[in-house]
Amino acid sequence: MPAWTWFELAIALAYLAGAALYPLGLGLRQPLCKKAASLASALGFLLHTADLAAAGLLQADVLQHGQFYISLFAWLCVLVFFVAWWRFKHDFLSLITAPLAVVLFTGSMVIHPATTIVPEHLSLLWFGLHVGAIFVALALLALAFGAGVGYVYLERKIKTKSKIPSALQEMPALDTLDRVNALAVSVGFPLYSISMLSGFIWAAFTWKRVLTGDPKEVVSLGIWVLYAILFHQRLALGWKGRKPAKMAIAIFLLSLGSLVLINFLLPTHHSLRAF
Amino acid sequence: MSQRIHVIGLSHKTAGVDIRERFALAGFNPVAAGLVQEHGPITEAVVLSTCNRVECIVVGEPGADVAHEVHQVWAQTCNQPVELLTRHTYCHTGAAAVTHVFSVAASLDSMVVGEPQILGQLKAAYRSAVEAHATRVILNRLLHKAFSTAKRVRTETAIASSAVSISYAAVELARKIFADLSRHSALLIGAGEMAELAATHLLAAGVRRMAVVNRTVSRAEELAKRFGGQAYGFDALNQALLEADIVITSTGSPSVILTASQMKEIMRNRRQRPIFFIDIAVPRDIDPDANAIDNVYVYDIDDLNGVVEENRASRQQEAIKAQAIIDEEVQAFLQWMDELRLQPTIVALLDQGERIARKELRKSIRQLGPDPDPQVVAIMERLAHSICHKIYHAPITYLKRRAQEEGSAERFVHQARRMFNLDGETPPEDAHDDRKRSR
Repeated sequence: MPAWTWFELAIALAYLAGAALYPLGLGLRQPLCKKAASLASALGFLLHTADLAAAGLLQADVLQHGQFYISLFAWLCVLVFFVAWWRFKHDFLSLITAPLAVVLFTGSMVIHPATTIVPEHLSLLWFGLHVGAIFVALALLALAFGAGVGYVYLERKIKTKSKIPSALQEMPALDTLDRVNALAVSVGFPLYSISMLSGFIWAAFTWKRVLTGDPKEVVSLGIWVLYAILFHQRLALGWKGRKPAKMAIAIFLLSLGSLVLINFLLPTHHSLRAF
Repeated sequence: MSQRIHVIGLSHKTAGVDIRERFALAGFNPVAAGLVQEHGPITEAVVLSTCNRVECIVVGEPGADVAHEVHQVWAQTCNQPVELLTRHTYCHTGAAAVTHVFSVAASLDSMVVGEPQILGQLKAAYRSAVEAHATRVILNRLLHKAFSTAKRVRTETAIASSAVSISYAAVELARKIFADLSRHSALLIGAGEMAELAATHLLAAGVRRMAVVNRTVSRAEELAKRFGGQAYGFDALNQALLEADIVITSTGSPSVILTASQMKEIMRNRRQRPIFFIDIAVPRDIDPDANAIDNVYVYDIDDLNGVVEENRASRQQEAIKAQAIIDEEVQAFLQWMDELRLQPTIVALLDQGERIARKELRKSIRQLGPDPDPQVVAIMERLAHSICHKIYHAPITYLKRRAQEEGSAERFVHQARRMFNLDGETPPEDAHDDRKRSR
């Protein structure tokens, strides 16, 4: 029996179509192609929602599967993208979220069930606060990463007075990209903090210690400090533009690196694969 | 022979402004002027009259000297000698006329390639023609296709996506930085024709407010009144710079009025809110080093000229892509014209078939006696009708295919009309007996 089902394959293909058609539509200046990309992503999202709901309802031990977490993260990334689309009236960030959804979702399809053990009486609290908050924060960071790359590129073009290629003429303005960053920081950082705090409470319950020295814990604390600096500079000092954009790029890349390297390769109680 | 499309016109390419204004046809009604008449040589007309071109797009009867007719009416309407007019006009017929109309609509033939006004002007000209009952099936289709082709060109190429004038380039850059200009305010420092034009364009693009700073307060007040904004003296410049996001500077100052270090201080006070300087002054008003400060964007007149030049060059590149789209649409339109030429023949063929079928049906019904069974009569009618349509199906399909494949509908239509004797020709005396009998 294959590790994936036909239903999962359909979701992956819909996301893949969304990821491929959008840049194609930009390059060929075909609005229909971009519309088809959005429809494919929306279809993928609907199927994905059904898939997650089915997993939640039918599998009693769903929270113990690494696959579920990565799939949920992919779903949240797409959800955050749709919210941002509605909020900023711009579908340009599809350039980053659609490929990310493809990578995360196909990644989730090939992951073997993890051995995460969750005591039942704490599972909902732990799941809701720790995992839910961190995944939404990471999805927002993914959005800020896309907006950040766009900002740095466009700002460089404007500062150096160079021509913007015709395929990228429809890029959002610097102000819009900066507002995406502001959203990711002002909503993402508190969520990240909630996740960290609930993690420490969880550790205190489980291991009777707040700090356990787990690699994920150490790296996450480091990322949190960077995130806190960004949050403070934006809100207190009024940072705008290139600096917060670059910082959001760095924080997202660190988080992604931490997700891949620590959650999959190092021995940690955040492992998403079986050892 | 069938009706053909003609374009007779003059434009900035063939006539100077003095000629164009003498032959302008603003508010021209083709029916009232006698250009389009019930049984005249011209059956349809749309007249486009703008400052850069005057064109008559007409449909003429086969064999008519349409160009001559148009020149006569046109010169007469403008009260000018027809010889002067013919010296400056161009005439396109058939495929060339269709290509020309599509190119004009898509702004490929404009003085500034890609400018958007021409499409609106063509739409207005078409509306007037429709209201004057001067269009029918061919021009209706041609103009609608011209509008959709222009839309295709605008969406599928970048022909109109970049500004080709300094003030529009400035507005476009402001949009790249601020997105929605209605949430931002602008400031005009100094005065001057180009700066005021840029200010007018910014206001038209939706800028929330336009303040004015001038060394002469009375001049500042005068400009502020014109732009509906607030006036400041030069001593209030720093205060004005805290509020404005887009700044147009055009003073006659011999040295910079704002240094990079002053700008750093202002940015701190602005809490890093982005600011865009459009420095039109020569010598420059803003220290060019200010462009290196985060969230400060400084464009001087040369930078804006550079943007405009690049955009002009890229529009020419895009025009090549646009031409390919136009060629494709022209082919599709000509195919429709070919099919349109077939239409009367198809109708005549079916009509002839049905006539024969009805005649034979009447004979057969008579043989059924004085009181035939209505059910039998109905079945026989259906049978006759069906045989007729089935027999003519193959020749009609053949005609349609040949018209599409070879674009020579006319020749096949002619043959088909002779073959089925649709025009009721009398066979000559020496014709074969079979042909005489077939009548």
